Amino acid sequence: MEMHFIFSDTVVLLFDFWSVHSPAGMALSVLVVLLLAVLYEGIKVGKAKLLDQVLMNLPTSISQQAIAETDGESAGSDSSPISRTHHRWYLCHFGQSLIHVIQVVIGYFIMLAVMSYNTWIFLGVVLGSAVGYYLAYPLLSMA
Amino acid sequence: MDHSHHMEMSYTDPNSTMPPSHHHPTTSASHSHGGGDSNMMMMMPMTFYFGFENVQLLFSGLVINTAGEMAGAFVAVFLLAMFYEGLKIARESLLRKSQVSIRYNSMPVPGPNGTILMETHKTVGQQMLSFPHLLQTVLHIIQVVISYFLMLIFMTYNGYLCIAVAAGAGTGYFLFSWKKAVVVDITEHCH
Repeated sequence: MEMHFIFSDTVVLLFDFWSVHSPAGMALSVLVVLLLAVLYEGIKVGKAKLLDQVLMNLPTSISQQAIAETDGESAGSDSSPISRTHHRWYLCHFGQSLIHVIQVVIGYFIMLAVMSYNTWIFLGVVLGSAVGYYLAYPLLSMA
Repeated sequence: MDHSHHMEMSYTDPNSTMPPSHHHPTTSASHSHGGGDSNMMMMMPMTFYFGFENVQLLFSGLVINTAGEMAGAFVAVFLLAMFYEGLKIARESLLRKSQVSIRYNSMPVPGPNGTILMETHKTVGQQMLSFPHLLQTVLHIIQVVISYFLMLIFMTYNGYLCIAVAAGAGTGYFLFSWKKAVVVDITEHCH
């Protein structure tokens, strides 16, 4: 493996079937890698916003749980809505963990794509990260 | 007789033990990188494969050759990725706890009309040589090293090990970030 950046129209990216031989194929691959980088930045912002939404929507249930624990046993009728919102919160957190796994995997895929040392792919990743950051980060400060 | 026996030996080895997919990356990668040296042997695969024969893992002594060793490596990589996520969350909570301490120091400054005023400075955060900051630095170094190890493990392109990294990261996030969400929620509610 050449350990320096090269300009080339041939590369094999990540999987056996993804082998590029032509300028058109290279352009398409650069586009795919660019969209992957945009998606990565978008997922980062999306995860933070999801966490914000979850914390805003379910504070009362958790504080009720804390009050019920400090007071001793709560009545039987009180515990069922609390357990239902807890169940919803566990689902939300499980969904967040799945999004985290997807973010980790996409991050590693982008790293492996850059490791091909192909300059076009590298420029695609850099441009995709820039476009993704530009589009996604203003959404972070929005309510 | 000797010659045919030798031929038989060399033919049975690839068919019985080696999965065919392991050979593909080395030959296809060396074919597609046109600028490479023809004498250079391609030790590193450049595409994903599933296999457990002759997998080198990070250090020169660590070579995986059997399914049992691959299972052990899967568990070890899974736990390493989980530990990495936990370390991230632990560093965040440690930083938040050490930043609760606010230091005030007041100094007299001359004011108008000859009076002396007390000017109070409020410092939030850590001193450079304090113990919490040194601890944060040591944990940061450990976190950087582990993150590079995980990157190198993912770079082996072995499908089992990559799945172990992803699953360990997800499980670690699920277990440790749940605690963080609860803690953050309670402290924010108390304000």
